Amino acid sequence: MDNMNSNEFVTLAHGAGGRQTAELIDRVFKAHFSNPDFTGDDAAVLPVDAGKIAFTTDGFIVSPFEFPGGNIGKLSICGTVNDLACMGAKPLYLSCAFVIEEGFPLAKLEEIAAAMKKTADEAGVRIVAGDTKVAGKGQVDHVFITTTGVGQLTEGVRTSGAFARPGDAVIVTGDVGRHGCTILLARNEFEIDADVTSDCAPLWGTVKSMIDASRDIHVIRDATRGGVGTVLYEIADQSKVGIRLNSADVPVAPEVRGVCGMLGLEPLYLACEGRLVVFAPKSEAPAILEALRKGPYSASAAIIGEVVADHPGKVVMTTEIGAQSLLPQPGGELLPRIC
Amino acid sequence: METAKQIIESYDGRKLRIMEVCGTHTHEIFRLGIRRILPPQIELISGPGCPVCVTPAGYIDEAVMLALEHGAVICTFGDLIRVPGSEMSLAGARSKGAAVKTVYSPLDAVDFARENPDKQVVFLAVGFETTVPAACLAVKKAAAEGLANFSILGANKTMPNAYRALKGSADAFLYPGHVNAITGTAVCEDLVKLGVSGVVAGFTADEILTALAVIVRLSASGEPFFRNCYLRVVRPEGSPAALKLMDTVMEPCDAEWRGLGVIPMSGLKLRPAFAAYDARLKFSLPPVAGRSNPACRCGEVLQGKCKSTDCKLFGTACTPLHPVGACMVSNEGACSAYYQYGDILNG
Amino acid sequence: MCVGLSARVVSIEDGTALIDASGAKRRVSADLIDDLEPGDYVMVHAGVAIAKITDTDADESRKIMESLDGNGETDH
Repeated sequence: MDNMNSNEFVTLAHGAGGRQTAELIDRVFKAHFSNPDFTGDDAAVLPVDAGKIAFTTDGFIVSPFEFPGGNIGKLSICGTVNDLACMGAKPLYLSCAFVIEEGFPLAKLEEIAAAMKKTADEAGVRIVAGDTKVAGKGQVDHVFITTTGVGQLTEGVRTSGAFARPGDAVIVTGDVGRHGCTILLARNEFEIDADVTSDCAPLWGTVKSMIDASRDIHVIRDATRGGVGTVLYEIADQSKVGIRLNSADVPVAPEVRGVCGMLGLEPLYLACEGRLVVFAPKSEAPAILEALRKGPYSASAAIIGEVVADHPGKVVMTTEIGAQSLLPQPGGELLPRIC
Repeated sequence: METAKQIIESYDGRKLRIMEVCGTHTHEIFRLGIRRILPPQIELISGPGCPVCVTPAGYIDEAVMLALEHGAVICTFGDLIRVPGSEMSLAGARSKGAAVKTVYSPLDAVDFARENPDKQVVFLAVGFETTVPAACLAVKKAAAEGLANFSILGANKTMPNAYRALKGSADAFLYPGHVNAITGTAVCEDLVKLGVSGVVAGFTADEILTALAVIVRLSASGEPFFRNCYLRVVRPEGSPAALKLMDTVMEPCDAEWRGLGVIPMSGLKLRPAFAAYDARLKFSLPPVAGRSNPACRCGEVLQGKCKSTDCKLFGTACTPLHPVGACMVSNEGACSAYYQYGDILNG
Repeated sequence: MCVGLSARVVSIEDGTALIDASGAKRRVSADLIDDLEPGDYVMVHAGVAIAKITDTDADESRKIMESLDGNGETDH
C-alpha cells in the first residue's frame, strides 16, 4: 500500500486491455493474489480429485464499499466460500471479476485486494483467475465484484434445503442482523451511532467443526440478504415442514436491538454475512453446539427452534407472553417504521 | 403480567368489543400473539390509528407531483414509501427518477435542506398528535434559520373527533398512549360523559395485557369508564410544551381520512404566519381528488364494520408486496398485520 | 401509530439530548421537556423526546393491577 500514490486513480485506460491493464493487474492483483495456480494464461489449469465438486457464483455490490468489520473484498470471498461450505464442500479455488468505476482510488483497490487475499488464506482457498473492467464515471457504484468458486465435497455429508425433517433442531451460529445493521449505520441516513461491526467471516472452519462433530446434518444455509427469517421461510418451503421458533432464544446483540427499536425493524430480517442456519436431528444438536461454541465465529451459537410436521411452509414464533404468532413473511425493501 | 393474562383468558361475561386505535398497538398485539389467548367473548378491532392507513390516495398524488413535476426532494418516514396513490406510489415515482429520501425525523429533513441549498426539500407531514410536535419543531427551525428551500406537505390528524365519529363501533377503546402523552387525558374523560369507555395503554406486553385486563374488570359494572394505564409516560395534562408549540404553528382544519371520508376539524394545517412553509401554497398545487380501488374495504375495516378477511381483495389482489389499500401497505395496518401474523396457522 | 422508544439521556446541550437505547445512540430534540437531566429516561418519537418515563412497565403494571384489586381507583 505504501508504494501506491494516493493521487492515483483507476482510469478507462486501465480497462482497455493494453499496457496499463497489465500494469494494474501486476501492481494490484498479482501482487496480492500470487500463488502457483494464478498464471498469466487464459485459464487456470487445476488438478481434479476423485469425488464431486461444488460450484457456485455470486455478485457483490455494497454501499458503502468499506464498513466496520470488512469491505467489499472480504465480503466477496466470504460469500462464495460460505456458499460452498454450506454444501459441506471444502473451498479450493476462486475466480474474481471486477467492475471498477472510473476514478476509483488505486489505494482503495489495493486495500480491497489485500482483504481478499487475507480472507482467502484464512478460508484455505486459492484465487486462480480474474478479470478487470473499468466502467465510466457513474455507471457503477465504486466497485462491483463477482466471485466464482469450486470446492471438494466431504465424503458422507449431504446437505440441502429440502432435507429438514420434523424433529430437527434449528441452530443459528451467532447473533443475527449484524451485517445489515452495520451497513444501515454506515450509510448514516438516520444519524444513529452504535458500536456494531459486521459479522462478515469465512465459515469453512465453522462448517468443518460441525461435520467433524456429526455427519448427520440435514441443512446448512448461510443467512445473507433477507437475514435468518428469510432462510427459515426458504427451508420451510423447500422441505415442506413447519418451523417453531422461540423468540427469546434468538441471539441479538443489544445494540442491534436498540437500532431496530429506533427504526421499527425486525432483526431476523436484517442481513448477516457470517451466520449459518443449521438443521440437524435433536440428538445431534448438543454435540454440534459444543463444537460451534469453541469456534471463533460461532461462540454465541444457539438452538432457536425446532422443525414440526404441522403448518408446513410457515414459521411460528412462541412470543414473550407464551402465545404463538406467525413470523411475518419476508418481502420487499426494509423500510423504517416511524409514524 | 400473569395476573392480567389470567383475567383476560378466564373472561366469560358478555361480548366485549375493544378497538385499538393505534397502529403500533395493532402491530404489537399481532406480534405478541395476544389474539390467540383471547376468549371468544373478547373481540379486538383494529381502528383508524395508523397515519399511513388513513392517508388518502390524493395525498400521495400530491407528493408524486412535487417530486416528478417540481423536482423537489421528498423527505418521508419509510412508512409512506409504498402507499399506492391514484397512479403510483413514491417507490414507483423513485423508479422514474424522483428523489425520495427516508428520514427518521422531520428535523433531519431540515438539516438536509440546509446542506442542500440548491434543492427544494419537502417533508411529508403525516401522523397524529405524537408526531405533530416534531413537524412543528422542523417548521419553526426552518423559519428561525430563514431556510427558503424547506416546506411541508401537511396531512396531520388529531384523534378527538375521530373517537366521536367512531362512537358505538366498540365497547371500549384502547387509547394510544403516545398520543395521550402529548394531549393528556381530558379528552378521554370527556368521552366518558358521552358514554364512551376506554383506557390509555402503553406498548410493552405487560402494558397491553394490563390495559386489556383493566377493560375486562371495569366493563363488569356496565358503566362507562376511563383509566390511565400508562402512568409512567402519560400525565393528565399531557405535554404543555408540545401543545403550546402545536398551537403556535398549526390550526385545526377539516381532514379527509382514507376510507372514512372528511371528518370536520380532525386535521391540522400551518397557521398563516407559517404559510411560506406550506408546500401546497409554495408550489401552487392544484386540488387533487385521488382515486382508490372501489373494491377495497379499508374504510369498513377501520371502522370495525368488517374484518380484513371479509374483503375480496385480501390475500389475492392485495398483499403486502402488492398492496391495493393502505391498510395492507403499512406494517401497522390491520390488513397487513392480519396477512403477516394472521390466523392462517391452520392453512 | 407512533413507534416510541424508551432511552436514557446521556447528555444535553443546546436543547438537544444525546440518548442511548441499548447502545444505539442518537441526538434528539429536548425542546419539549424543560427539566431534563442526564440519567433520565425518555420516550422518543421521530427524533423528539416527548415525555419523561418515571417507572418500569413491570412496576407500573403491578401497581395498576393492585389498585384494581383494591378500591378500583388508580391515581390517574
